[in-house]
Amino acid sequence: MPPPSLPIPAKRALPSKEATLFRELLTLYETRQLKKGLKTADLILKKYPEHGETLCMKGLLLTHMGRREEGIDLVKKGMRFDLTSHICWHVFGLIQKGEKNYEEALKSYTQALRFDKENLNILRDSAHLQTQLRIFDALVETRHTLLRLRPNLRQNWVALAVAYHLNGELDEARKVLEQYESILKDVPDYDVEHSEMLLYHVALLEEVGQFSEALSLLDTNAKARLIIDRTAVMERRARLLTKLGNVEEAEHAWKALIQQNSDCRDYYKGYLSIKGVDLDTMSEEARQETVRILRTFSEQPPKATVPRRLALEYSKGDEFKELVEPYLFSGLSKGIPSLFVDLKDLYKDQDKQRVIEELVEDASSSSTPSEPPTTYLWSLYFLSQHYLHLRQYSRALNLLDIAISHTPTLPELYTCKARVLKRSGDTYGAAQSLNDARLLDLQDRFLNTKCAKYRLRAGLSDEAQEIFGLFTKKDAPTPASDLEDMQSLMFLTEDGDSHNRSGRLAMALKRYVAVQKTFNEFEDDQYDFHGYSLRKFTINIYMNLVSWEDQARSHPAHVHAAIEGARIFVRVHDNPALRNPQASSGQLTDAGKKAKKRAKKAAQKIQEDPKKTATSANEDKGLEAPAPKDDDPDGTKLLASSEGLEIAAKLLQPLVNLELPSIRLWVTVYDVAVRRKKYLQAVKALLHASTLDPADPEVHVRLVEIRKLWSILPQPPAAPIGSTTSEILEELIPSSTNLETYNAEYLQRGGTSASIVLSAAKASQVLGAPEDEVSSMVFNLFNPDVNLSIKISVEALSYLKVIHSPRVDEFRSRLDSKFELSTIFKPSSEFEAYRKQAIGSSFDMDGGEYVPQ
Amino acid sequence: MSSATSAGKTPARVTFSYLTSNSLGVVRKLNSVLFPVKYSEKYYKEILAPEVEEFCQLVYYNDIPVGNFTCRLESEPKGRTSLYLMTMGILAPYRSRGVGSQVMKALLDSVTQSQSPKIGRIYLHVQVSNTAGKAFYERHGFKEASVHKDYYKKIEPGDAWVLEKVFTDPSVS
Repeated sequence: MPPPSLPIPAKRALPSKEATLFRELLTLYETRQLKKGLKTADLILKKYPEHGETLCMKGLLLTHMGRREEGIDLVKKGMRFDLTSHICWHVFGLIQKGEKNYEEALKSYTQALRFDKENLNILRDSAHLQTQLRIFDALVETRHTLLRLRPNLRQNWVALAVAYHLNGELDEARKVLEQYESILKDVPDYDVEHSEMLLYHVALLEEVGQFSEALSLLDTNAKARLIIDRTAVMERRARLLTKLGNVEEAEHAWKALIQQNSDCRDYYKGYLSIKGVDLDTMSEEARQETVRILRTFSEQPPKATVPRRLALEYSKGDEFKELVEPYLFSGLSKGIPSLFVDLKDLYKDQDKQRVIEELVEDASSSSTPSEPPTTYLWSLYFLSQHYLHLRQYSRALNLLDIAISHTPTLPELYTCKARVLKRSGDTYGAAQSLNDARLLDLQDRFLNTKCAKYRLRAGLSDEAQEIFGLFTKKDAPTPASDLEDMQSLMFLTEDGDSHNRSGRLAMALKRYVAVQKTFNEFEDDQYDFHGYSLRKFTINIYMNLVSWEDQARSHPAHVHAAIEGARIFVRVHDNPALRNPQASSGQLTDAGKKAKKRAKKAAQKIQEDPKKTATSANEDKGLEAPAPKDDDPDGTKLLASSEGLEIAAKLLQPLVNLELPSIRLWVTVYDVAVRRKKYLQAVKALLHASTLDPADPEVHVRLVEIRKLWSILPQPPAAPIGSTTSEILEELIPSSTNLETYNAEYLQRGGTSASIVLSAAKASQVLGAPEDEVSSMVFNLFNPDVNLSIKISVEALSYLKVIHSPRVDEFRSRLDSKFELSTIFKPSSEFEAYRKQAIGSSFDMDGGEYVPQ
Repeated sequence: MSSATSAGKTPARVTFSYLTSNSLGVVRKLNSVLFPVKYSEKYYKEILAPEVEEFCQLVYYNDIPVGNFTCRLESEPKGRTSLYLMTMGILAPYRSRGVGSQVMKALLDSVTQSQSPKIGRIYLHVQVSNTAGKAFYERHGFKEASVHKDYYKKIEPGDAWVLEKVFTDPSVS
């Protein structure tokens, strides 16, 4: 360690015997000999009980040993005795980092550096924290210092380049790498780390647009066998040559790649791109040329599917028919289950859709003896999916029934039938059909999981858990808690939605928040890579990681959970009675009660756990704070929080930062902001939404609402905010607007769209129309020219409940007769019968259970 | 549709697999479609026994389960063992394609190869109205041994042929 830069204060100085002990203590900590370390610390403290650094070290040791609270108290005590010691601040920083409090930890590290400017450990840790917090200008500085102190360490050079890169100074990054390469000597042969660094350098040059420099760097080092990743060399070469417009060599490079991996779509796309091929803008000649090229590839060995499939995209008319026919029939006779999914993208073109339909209709019109019956079966399956895609549900069901009576043992037929039933609003029948599929192969994880998911869709939460439980850890308190630990976004989302639909808002919120927590963990997980990846020179993939992390929260599961979670808080704010668990859980079924009991038991188990672990205090527990025990196992406390809207705003904040193009996001941000009386935030959110689609039904209601609200606001917000809000609002919907007329015109313009009809009804309620008038506007959804979907129907039904319309039941029963196949609009008294049906089977058999082999 | 017929020429794959508790659902489903009899839970337990593994299997046609055969071992006097064929069936659309014969061949091979126990004969019941069924077994060397009066309780006609095939132990002769 370098000499301290400040004179040692008297109270820190120890006599030589204790000073030796203290040095020993540091080594013991480094080597994690916790017990010995503790003894040594006690020896020093016996004589000097107010020695701050020793107190801090003892606290740190105790924290490692799992005696967390005691340890942290000691660290704080030690800090008070010696506020100018870098050791004290370092220890404090370590503790804060363990609590994932990166901001505060960085502050402590900065303090520590004030008293020991050149401490390598502290500098390195600071760099990691700065990267985690994306404070890149400070990161550059830290990396500079590290390089200056240890220029002989290879990773310090690369780390500085990476810091410049992250800070957007690509040119500086390039210079650092160049200088580094010029002074580097004696690189061993086949050195992976050096190879990775050179590839990173090439990528950097490509990013700044210096393609020919990148290419020559790549070529020189590939030839010198310094870059050893052969595939990476070939791919980058092909890409760079393409970017440089070197058609001849690029063509050669892509062809070589296709030879090597003829199933990689990107290679063909790359090859075609040098021909100036772009499906949207391409000329007729270019299109024909492309098909010709792809046909040539298709006929050459190795026989790959990709060029055949790509040719279907570019070909047209008779040629398309000629190409798609063998493609289809080879798939049907081989029995490729995913054939439809593979081809449905072509349906964007109506002609192609028709050709495919005709061909498969032909094949499935009869079973010819010359062909195996399975070909006929797979064409029936294909056609069912085809008609499902075209929303011709009865036709799809008919075909599936024919297929099932032909061969009743193919699980795909039942999963497809389940999907058709689900889309037609028969969630119970769908769950049953998937159970049928599952019974055909009890050890199939996909079928089991899908069945559990369909049960959740039918609101059968407990019955779903039984199936999820087949695959979760047997010693987990509940299947749900294991799935949460395993970060199963599918489970958390579907279970949350299921509770949400059934009105069990607290549990729904609990699941949505768990999704949020999972993403917090994703974010924390990157921390270790800031050090690891640079040490191992895996820079290229590390840069991908960093940018992935920045976008991680735009993942659909996170977006959905944040929005739905926030919407629950909005609903509870509007109707505080929902906070009451009795009211929110609706009729508590037996299953619900059972789940509650189980959750309680689980919570108890978790509380018992710490006792067990506290007894063996010898091993290293690390510095990470243990997960706090769950004192809100069913989410009721969170739901009842008086700061619901603030929590909602926090849930949405990461999405606001990412400026996601989602109308549902921005109207939710509006809903939360307007209830918090943050009017500027509200109109800004609405502006975002309106930019995406000014005529969107969700936007329409809110425009009317905010304009009305603004006009009757007793006191507009103070000057800068008030006037800016006014201006934006004026832009969105002028103050001169007659809102009734505005709403009527909106309805007139889009009167055949169900969501517009519903939206206009909502808007007129905002404008003070009496309930019966609003209700009858909602009933206009049944007008024959309105295209009413199940989704909007569900929404309309719950809206009628919200406004306490006396016609709720009438509406429900009209929906029930309108959607013949559906069961979701049946009266709740029939629920139990449907539940039994859904978990049973249409086969004549007892319920099977998966038995692990 | 030239390509379709050419695809049809590729021979279909007929394969077999042992039963497990996880594939029992397929057996149940097939039995419910193939046979007019409802089988007891005892039957479904027996066919999973390791001793009859070779004699109770699912039949696949191009990887899709289309049939099964299930048997039970029976001890007879003088320490001899018989194999009783309880079910053997193929879904209607897959018949007349030689699948049954492949199944029978596989089953008879298993019987002759079985060492412990050595199997002395295999026998089964065929409803007397099912002449095609009888002809099938006779093609594979089965002989009519007797007629079992009122064998079936719930279906008509109730009488059944007892068909059997006797194996002579080469080590004895």
